Amino acid sequence: MGRDAILKAIQKNKPSLIPLPEINLDAFEEPIDLLETFKEKVALVGGRIIALDAIKNIDSEIQKLYPNASKIISCIKESNLGTISISEKTNPHELEAVDLAIINGEFGVAENGAVWISEDNFPIRVLPFISNDLVIILNKEKLCSNLHEAYKLISERNRTFGLFISGPSKTADIEQCLVIGAQGAMSLTIILV
Amino acid sequence: MKVGLFIPCYINQLFPQVAIATLELLEKLNIDVYYPNEQTCCGQPLGNSGYEEDSKGACRLFVENFKEYDYIVGPSGSCIYHVKKHFDILEQTSEVIKVRNNAFELCEFIVKILGKTDIGASFPYKVGLHKSCHGLRGLHLGSCSETMDSHYSTEEDLLNNVKGLELMSLTRKDECCGFGGTFSVFEEAISVKMGKDRIQDHLDNGVEVITGADHSCLMHLEGLLNRNEEPLKVMHIAEILNSTI
Amino acid sequence: MSHSKKAAIFNKDEAKVNWHDKALWYVREKRDNAAHGVKGWEYLRDTASKIKGNVLSNLDNYLIEFEANAIKNNIKVHWASNAEEHNKIVHKILEEHNAKNVVKSKSMLTEECHLNPFLEAKGIEVVDTDLGEYIVQIAEETPSHIVLPAIHKTKEEVDELFQEHLGTNPSNGNPEYLTNEARKHLLNKFIEADGAITGVNFAIAETGGIVVCTNEGNADMGAHLAPVHIACMGIEKIIPKEADLGVFLRLLARSATGQPITTYSSHFNKPAEGTEIHIVIVDNGRTEQLSREDFRSSLHCIRCGACMNTCPIYRRSGGHSYDATIPGPIGSILSPGKDLKKHSSLPFASTLCGSCSNVCPVKINIHEQLYKWRQIIVKEESQPVVKKSILKITGKVLGNRTLYNLVGKSARFMLKYAPRFMVYSKLNTWGKARELPEVKNENFDTWYKINRKNNG
Repeated sequence: MGRDAILKAIQKNKPSLIPLPEINLDAFEEPIDLLETFKEKVALVGGRIIALDAIKNIDSEIQKLYPNASKIISCIKESNLGTISISEKTNPHELEAVDLAIINGEFGVAENGAVWISEDNFPIRVLPFISNDLVIILNKEKLCSNLHEAYKLISERNRTFGLFISGPSKTADIEQCLVIGAQGAMSLTIILV
Repeated sequence: MKVGLFIPCYINQLFPQVAIATLELLEKLNIDVYYPNEQTCCGQPLGNSGYEEDSKGACRLFVENFKEYDYIVGPSGSCIYHVKKHFDILEQTSEVIKVRNNAFELCEFIVKILGKTDIGASFPYKVGLHKSCHGLRGLHLGSCSETMDSHYSTEEDLLNNVKGLELMSLTRKDECCGFGGTFSVFEEAISVKMGKDRIQDHLDNGVEVITGADHSCLMHLEGLLNRNEEPLKVMHIAEILNSTI
Repeated sequence: MSHSKKAAIFNKDEAKVNWHDKALWYVREKRDNAAHGVKGWEYLRDTASKIKGNVLSNLDNYLIEFEANAIKNNIKVHWASNAEEHNKIVHKILEEHNAKNVVKSKSMLTEECHLNPFLEAKGIEVVDTDLGEYIVQIAEETPSHIVLPAIHKTKEEVDELFQEHLGTNPSNGNPEYLTNEARKHLLNKFIEADGAITGVNFAIAETGGIVVCTNEGNADMGAHLAPVHIACMGIEKIIPKEADLGVFLRLLARSATGQPITTYSSHFNKPAEGTEIHIVIVDNGRTEQLSREDFRSSLHCIRCGACMNTCPIYRRSGGHSYDATIPGPIGSILSPGKDLKKHSSLPFASTLCGSCSNVCPVKINIHEQLYKWRQIIVKEESQPVVKKSILKITGKVLGNRTLYNLVGKSARFMLKYAPRFMVYSKLNTWGKARELPEVKNENFDTWYKINRKNNG
């Protein structure tokens, strides 16, 4: 069926080998302030960014930001706000009504305000999407300038599921009007510590 | 330097004033310029309509007429672009290659080959520059709004040196006017709408005269202006550069 | 119906044309701003184009490598030669899971294969979960743009649709309210779903993983809640290495919407415990396009839609005028390869202005391919007799100086002396909205003979 026919057709129709280009990363280098650029881009993509002096203050900060959240899942040991505990065995459908999820981010990308998060940071894949609001805790030292650098940083990871997340869920499908909060999290707050 | 003057067929027949201005301009610049009188057309109308095969006769005749010149200069970016880009359908003899390499749009010839930007013209009007697509994106007469290269414009370099001329800035710097050869009749509705929108941009920005390096676009815009009795004129850039008002 | 006829109908409502044009031009401007912010943008495009060139020249090996790595990671891989095989494979997987309620995120491939009607006929509900796609689905239409599927709809039209289908209150087209109502409705669909279908933005040979990009989060909501995730991809979605994503993800969203990156760029490498990931690799005419040297690079396309946003014809004719799964410039070079007869007017729906090629993040020479399709179409498809004979005669005239003189003279005579009612007749399409050039005096040939006696 398909497979052999497709591969045969490709072999017959493809051009002779064109080499894969070397990518000269110097071409993209520019002197930027990683932290300032990152902050600027997070704001641009609709996220909120807060810098804290000490990680011990995160709970009061989060409570200030999300005073009405009651169903909270915390995936970080530094926060005691969690009201629901989950594990790998939790049925993702049970997360339907979660108000807030707090997770660790691994590093941020200055050029686009994205944070790399992976299954290591949350036991259930749907959590950062289904939670009404999302807080990501990020070490402010862990920033890279662009995606080329970012892919170097994740090249050795255990590949299961991970993503770059840049701001809250959004859409502009109705007359190009930007609306924050489509199918994923309605807000994203990044807390830099 | 022996220059062959290429006057596109529609300019020859319908806009002789553009051809005259081009000739006079080159003469002013002390160019040894000749007009091979057996010339017809570059074949572009056929190629763009899908009848490239039927244009070979016109292409061959073009090469025959212009093969002896050091440069071939014409007041139409799209025709020159056609010679450079699409004469690949002919057998690539040394003559064909020479003609393709040495064909130049008028402004490019003046700026790039002659190294001149000030030719002592004066034209005390507010001018809007229509950057015709084939000259811009095909011949690279200037930087394009889509690409991130640094800004340059051959026509602007020339117009900025015309005494009294005020070059007006447009909202959409280089959008197509909708002429497109036979597109103008086979896609009449869109063609007309595109032309109207271009004109509106010039009107909104206080332009008195629309100019450009391709008279086919200007013919389309002029047709709309005249039908709608708009207070705007069109002039080929050669006419402005040849002007000493 | 040809593009020009449909476009003429679209143009009857000039206010709507202006609105459509402005909405898309705004996206083009956002793209320009975003691109200006990236140092080395043109080099990035160039690199992306070269990577895609390499991919096509080694596509069979990359697909084999991808398959092997995906299987190692517990992903199931299927191959489909055409739309029918693709649809059957998807159906079979769903059947095995007894799935009746399917959520689907944006996938132009499944549009191309007409998957929805196929599954619906088998009693499976398919809900398009991208908001724009959801809107066109309930309107029983097709997407008019590949990134902004409902760009042809005004917010008031969406309001009415939602009142009818979701029972919403009249809101004068309030986008926040409407989006939120859709969110609530779709959340139920995600929770109920027993199967999820997504597209694939990139498939990485080196890792066997796939990347799916969305702004709404709908692909992930579907894929992580349902027990089975089916990802459908064209063979050309392969890239060699994961590091190449650095190039493509920098280009994709900036070109598409002017965002620096999509909100979610999800990297699927292994299914979650107790769930399955299936990848369906589809040809459906792509290997044939690969065989066409002049048109091969159309397979570089990463579906950003930038060529639509910049195209002055697309902006003023609307996506539906193209009557093709993928409208606009890129669609006009892809579609003729699938059905030359049906799509023969599309390569002519262009002034060959070249703006599309300039914005294309993978540097497809779109306007040059439009030109090449034209040469093929006039040979292979029957052309209107008048058009054909005029152009054939023109060819003869332009190749012969004596004929040229004769025709030039009579045309000028006609323009100058024929009565207006004759010139501006039904036959004169030019003259519907435009004046013909005024013939002032002699032609240049004559002027030259009189005024430059010594030359020539």
